[in-house]
Amino acid sequence: MNHAPDFDSRVAAALANPTLKVAIERTTGTARTKRAAAMAAWPEFPAARALGRDIKDHVIENLAHYLVAFEKNADAAGTKVHWARTGEEACQIVVDICRKAGAKSVTRAKSMLGEEIGLPHALEAAGLERVETDLAEHIIQLAGDPPSHIVWPALHKTREQVAELFRAHHRDPGAMATVEAMVASARRQLREKFMAADVGISGANFLVADTGAVCTVTNEGNAELTTTPPRIHIVTAGIEKLVPSTAHAMAMLRLLVRSATGAELTQYTTFHNGPKRAQDRDGPDEFHIVLVDAGRTRMLNEGLAEMLRCIRCGACLNHCVVYRQIGGHAYGATYPGPMGSVLTPMLDGLEQAQDLPRACTLNGQCQEVCPVAIPLPTLLRGWREKSWQRGFEPARVRWALALWRFTAMRPRLYEFAGNIGLRIMPLFAHGGWISRMPLAGGWTAHRDMPSPSGGTFLAQYRRRFKK
Amino acid sequence: MNDARSEILKAIGKVSANPTAIAAQAQRLRAGACRPDRVNGPADAVFIERLRSPGVAATAERVATMQDFPDAVRRYLAAQQLTPALALQPHPDLQALDWSGISTHEHIATDEPVAVGLALGGIAETGSLVFHSSPVSPTLFCFLPLHHIVAVRASQIWPWLEDYADAFAGCAQPRNVNLITGASGTTDIEGTLVRGAHGPGWLHAVLIGNAE
Amino acid sequence: MPKCAGLEQNVTLEIRPAENSLPHVALFATCLVNAMRPAVGFAALALLEQAGCRVDVPQGQTCCGQPALNSGDAEGTRQIARRNIEMLEPFDHVVVPSGSCAATIRLHYPELLAHDPAWAARARNLAARTHELLSYLADIRGWLPEGISLEASATYHDSCSGLRELGLKAQPRKLLAAVNDLTLRKLEGEETCCGFGGTFCVKYPAISNAIVDEKAVAVEASGAALLLGGDLGCLLNMAGKLHRRGAAVRAFHAAEILAGMGDAPAIGETP
Repeated sequence: MNHAPDFDSRVAAALANPTLKVAIERTTGTARTKRAAAMAAWPEFPAARALGRDIKDHVIENLAHYLVAFEKNADAAGTKVHWARTGEEACQIVVDICRKAGAKSVTRAKSMLGEEIGLPHALEAAGLERVETDLAEHIIQLAGDPPSHIVWPALHKTREQVAELFRAHHRDPGAMATVEAMVASARRQLREKFMAADVGISGANFLVADTGAVCTVTNEGNAELTTTPPRIHIVTAGIEKLVPSTAHAMAMLRLLVRSATGAELTQYTTFHNGPKRAQDRDGPDEFHIVLVDAGRTRMLNEGLAEMLRCIRCGACLNHCVVYRQIGGHAYGATYPGPMGSVLTPMLDGLEQAQDLPRACTLNGQCQEVCPVAIPLPTLLRGWREKSWQRGFEPARVRWALALWRFTAMRPRLYEFAGNIGLRIMPLFAHGGWISRMPLAGGWTAHRDMPSPSGGTFLAQYRRRFKK
Repeated sequence: MNDARSEILKAIGKVSANPTAIAAQAQRLRAGACRPDRVNGPADAVFIERLRSPGVAATAERVATMQDFPDAVRRYLAAQQLTPALALQPHPDLQALDWSGISTHEHIATDEPVAVGLALGGIAETGSLVFHSSPVSPTLFCFLPLHHIVAVRASQIWPWLEDYADAFAGCAQPRNVNLITGASGTTDIEGTLVRGAHGPGWLHAVLIGNAE
Repeated sequence: MPKCAGLEQNVTLEIRPAENSLPHVALFATCLVNAMRPAVGFAALALLEQAGCRVDVPQGQTCCGQPALNSGDAEGTRQIARRNIEMLEPFDHVVVPSGSCAATIRLHYPELLAHDPAWAARARNLAARTHELLSYLADIRGWLPEGISLEASATYHDSCSGLRELGLKAQPRKLLAAVNDLTLRKLEGEETCCGFGGTFCVKYPAISNAIVDEKAVAVEASGAALLLGGDLGCLLNMAGKLHRRGAAVRAFHAAEILAGMGDAPAIGETP
């Protein structure tokens, strides 16, 4: 098949890696089990999900209103609000703030938007020491890997691989016999970094319009240790992250946390609102928020508004049969899995990402588990339609489908062609099964095909009922 | 930058309905009946139960008055075999108590073994402690210690997350609101839950008095 | 739609002698059944007649258009949709022994033709008259098999389109439970996709293989002698993988079992 070059080889590499499969299953399997338990204890989930969808749709419908309200309230709290049309513009704003402050080191709390806009790279290119503080981000920073999941960026690493990395890079690694020991080593390693950083950068899970606050959720406590000690706290946030009020954020948190980890609330749910106040003993002197478009207004205007509901819980990844086999890196993009296959063609271009919407069985489980009811299969079909219109579908597939359609419109021809096939196929059969046949390699490489016998149903029906 | 702002707002395009209509619509989109059945008793009792539940995995006890809090701290230190020295959140209600036998300090160290704090309140639904940052409630007291012992008044427990939000809606907001639900943890290595990732490894809540 | 399935059954039996009042049903066999497993077509025919329908098999039928639909060829799908709408207009009901083909007609035809003034209403009309076989039998006809027995253990895979697009879950189990001596064993991950996905399985064969391999392991672990389902594409995929793995599990469309054809050759077996 004539796919864009890299997807097939990335898939082949992933499928050939048995350790990867084990690693993916350990984390996503646990996540699925815990989510299922949380949902079993929440019979009202369907109604809560409809409410979550409606809250997001309401915000998207009134996006300009809420953005302006958020800006006004954030400004009143002493926050400096910046706007960025593109990822590059956002990175430039962040780097400029760091430069102006004479910053040397930056701590970062995990933010998928930061990954999306290439912020880690931009910070390093600007000569800043970048310290990732989320444990998983710390692991992949040491490994030099991109994230492979939006909630567990290092889920492709087994405990053995993490132990090896920490032994090689940590000051005081200790025995590394247990996961507890690995976590303790990372705690020791990052402790001083938190306190010594000049700038702390975080993302936002929600932006609260009526207070101007930024809500972050973590289980480790690394976000608060990233944003409190440094002189400057910078938030990068997509413009779709708004909710009308704190009460609405609470309704979304119930959905987000249960869908992501099966817990009822993350250990640390924080609303950050502006810089240090008079007499405060800690907190940043400057608080900046960069509101990033980077394709979101295009999504709004090009039929992907429903995707702006996404709260990045990762449930669609954990339940996707394709993600579970190939892992995150095979997608070759910041966002993997079903939500990524909808977002990436918008962010990276359809031609380059054309395989992603296609490499999906459209089984609908992603939509079923989505806490804001995004019709992911419908959106993926939409990309397939664009891909077809723009001629990205490989020529062989186009020709085969055109020929099939031509015959499907002509029943006599259809039956004639079908009968030829049904006469040829048994020639390749052994004991009722075909294990190799020309033009059927996609099927028979991995499974057998039953040999048809006795002609088509329509022909047999005519014979039997003498019609 | 102003270009970016106006271009983004222009690209969104749609002129919004009037603010009153939007606010009315937002008001209709509040969670009610669809919340999980979590608050089915007095808020303070549910709160303690949630704190001790496997999902939150904190420890909790109740004492009669604020004056009994130092004794609860002493018992905790003894049970955990900890040195009787701790960072005491610079809150006047805590400083007014009798801490004899414990050496207290106001500055929190990067590797502080134990800190004692006073929460603004708690949320029964989730077993969360609520902290508002202020000169008497610095944020790092909740994140740097290994053991965090927190007093919370039983009269300050909100039943639902929204009840907390409503209590402060329209008020001046603190710099930081921290909802703390159990000790720090991570599932980043193979999905295995390990406590004490970056924040406290132990959280002990002491409920003061009764709800009435 | 009947308010009460049980009542519906009585009504059907009562009106049975009046030939004209029996629902006139078109059996849309689907291209896979037509070519690969005619037995499913005959089973469907028998079941519909037992359930009190006057059944026709329109001879001009070919395919519902799913290969084009799933490849993004909306215009090609519309052509086929219009043809099928026209062909199936004379019937009270259209019954399809496949969740995914039924869903294509019920859900996707109206979507695709929503903005075509000449066809939108006709597409909606056909959608409302079209049913997947097992749900038609259980929900609309209120029918249950009588006097059918098969001494065997079976496990059931919920094909995704039927399950999530049409709500097909209880119906096959209810129908199969009425087959004497048949024990149903739970399939671990019964709602997880088998990796067929129509053209997906030949466009991305390696991924599809990894998925169906897990499914085959789960089917074998169920310990059941039979694998049943309601969608032939998924069944061919799973049966082909089970055979490649050397497993002895035999695969049938649920309609074949309900029609008492469980002693006939399974998928891939020679008579």
